Amino acid sequence: MATLELDSITKTFQDGDEEIVAVDDVSLSIDDGEFLVVVGPSGCGKSTTLRMVAGLETITSGTLSIDNRVVNHVKSQDRDIAMVFQSYALYPHMSVRQNMSFGLEESTDLPDDEINRMVSETGEMLGISDLLDRKPSDLSGGQQQRVALGRAIVRDPEVFLMDEPLSNLDAKLRAEMRTELQRLQNDLGVTTVYVTHDQTEAMTMGDRIAILDGGELQQIASPLKCYHEPANQFVASFLGEPSMNFFDVALDGDRLVGDVFEYPIDDEVRADLGEATDLVLGIRPEAIKLVESKSDAHEFEMTVDVVEPMGDENTVYLHFDPDADPESAETLVATIDGFTRVSEGDSVVARIPQDAIHIFDGLTGEALHNRSMEDAADQVDLA
Amino acid sequence: MSDSEPRTDGGATTIGRLRRNLDRMTVEGAGLYVVLVFAAAFYLVPIESGLVTSFKTGTAIIQTAPFAPPGPSGLTFEKWQTAIDTLLRGMGNSLLYAVPATVISAFVGSITAYGLTIPTWKKSYKAVVLMLIIAGIFIPYQAVLVPLTQFWSQWAQLDQVLSFVWALGIDDDYVGIVELVITHVAYGIPICTLLFRTYYKTMSDEMIESARLDGATLRRVYRRIVLPLSGPMFAVVLIYQFTQIWNDLLFTLVIVSTESSPAAPVVLILAGLGSSLEGQDFALRMAGAFFAALPTLAVYIFFGEEFAEGVAA
Repeated sequence: MATLELDSITKTFQDGDEEIVAVDDVSLSIDDGEFLVVVGPSGCGKSTTLRMVAGLETITSGTLSIDNRVVNHVKSQDRDIAMVFQSYALYPHMSVRQNMSFGLEESTDLPDDEINRMVSETGEMLGISDLLDRKPSDLSGGQQQRVALGRAIVRDPEVFLMDEPLSNLDAKLRAEMRTELQRLQNDLGVTTVYVTHDQTEAMTMGDRIAILDGGELQQIASPLKCYHEPANQFVASFLGEPSMNFFDVALDGDRLVGDVFEYPIDDEVRADLGEATDLVLGIRPEAIKLVESKSDAHEFEMTVDVVEPMGDENTVYLHFDPDADPESAETLVATIDGFTRVSEGDSVVARIPQDAIHIFDGLTGEALHNRSMEDAADQVDLA
Repeated sequence: MSDSEPRTDGGATTIGRLRRNLDRMTVEGAGLYVVLVFAAAFYLVPIESGLVTSFKTGTAIIQTAPFAPPGPSGLTFEKWQTAIDTLLRGMGNSLLYAVPATVISAFVGSITAYGLTIPTWKKSYKAVVLMLIIAGIFIPYQAVLVPLTQFWSQWAQLDQVLSFVWALGIDDDYVGIVELVITHVAYGIPICTLLFRTYYKTMSDEMIESARLDGATLRRVYRRIVLPLSGPMFAVVLIYQFTQIWNDLLFTLVIVSTESSPAAPVVLILAGLGSSLEGQDFALRMAGAFFAALPTLAVYIFFGEEFAEGVAA
């Protein structure tokens, strides 16, 4: 078990005469036993970051230390880390037992019977004891995934690295493995860096999540903090499904003026905005309420465009102007209770509560005003 | 043939099925079969003719068509007997260099290809080495004959180095066998390297990386991961190299040169078999040719399954 520290890590690739920056000045520090999820869209540099930690890519600049020991130039095999790959990367000519013993045979001087005992123990822990003598090609995807995990766990490394380990599984199995992985990591207490593009995995699994975009670290915080207090518009849009609603607005006195609506704000919110006048108003779909009739300036008469029933809830797409072209008009997405009856073409009143809005700088994307986590928690208590 | 009719498996007799198939046969279908049968015959007739000729007496060869089987009076196994007697010692000599040269060139090719593919060495260095190796494939045998003779007779005088072997009572002509092994290995490395490199390119990078993270050194990755997975490509390379080396006449001509030498390979003896001042003994030549080809056939049969897998890869 160990701490892991990335200090101003940068990676550039040479493509002909062009220099491509894959990872740009990323600093992270991961506590002993922590589960950190690195998340971002494809091409954001998250896998490259992980591969640099593994020693599979060289580090262009910056320092990487495991347990306060700088390992920039330490070979992969001497870093005492284990990695689980998306493709599992099992050795096809070896049985499951041989796959799992390989690392111990290569990296330790343990006697064969000791290795055998450890492999059997790990096999039992993962529920793959009866598969130990089979070849990887005889196993299902889920079983192969377990073997790949087992191969990492049996070595008892300082750090686990996981590169989208669940993305080749079907949805149901993925949900199961998500829970199991968390339980395992909790039991083993091994420092883990987990890379994924799946925001559900990021939200549910990590102690903290690090969000990367374009090779730059956007935010690193607990999942709930990232969700409720995003550092910028990218983080706000990346987390949450359906994604947060954004409207370009301009500040005019104590009102936010958009193309088709005006939204009054009070002094407290106004104070957060400073000098900026080009703003983006953000509101999460689940914060929007449908009410009986318009009684407040934060409520808007809208027309239902599309309803997507999800069972427990409905996702509704609303327009401000009933006559607008549905293709181009500004849409407000709201998530409402599954029992609420709405259908296409209905006129409804939507409330955008002021305590749930986020306001971003229109130029830099930086968050100027977020709903506070305490407020969000209070609302849950009331409901 | 048309697929419009439902396929049923009724009418259990073979005759019935055959008749139904014939009923459905269109003109194009029939034409296709005629062409196929003709093509098959075109390829098989020379082999068949050779085989029946090898069992014919001298008179039968003159009296019957080349592809017709010998009559009871024209049948003889005497030519095969003579061919085996004459070629057997050459077979031994050929195996003596063909087997080691094949195995060594395949193995060296595999290691070279591994070095050029898997490790993260600088691409620019790898490219130069690879270019040189690939250029080696295109050097024709004829171009190296003179330098080769000079090399073995003036630069590397192996017969002196190996004098302790001749002291043991082994004929010093066998130095030719050693020279043949080295020559064929050198000549075989480029093509073997290229074949293995193509194969290793398709190997999963993540699997190799995983082995490196598991603590395996480059050498151990080769030994425990790459080599065990190279089986199909080894089959391809072994078959290809063995056939090449076994059938090569040119190098044996310049290095061993005389069929009377105790170290004469089978191809050298075969070249003179059945020809004399009285004329060609066709039956003996055919029997000799078939006998000399048996080992290559055996290698194909032995590695056939892996060969198919390797070619498909």
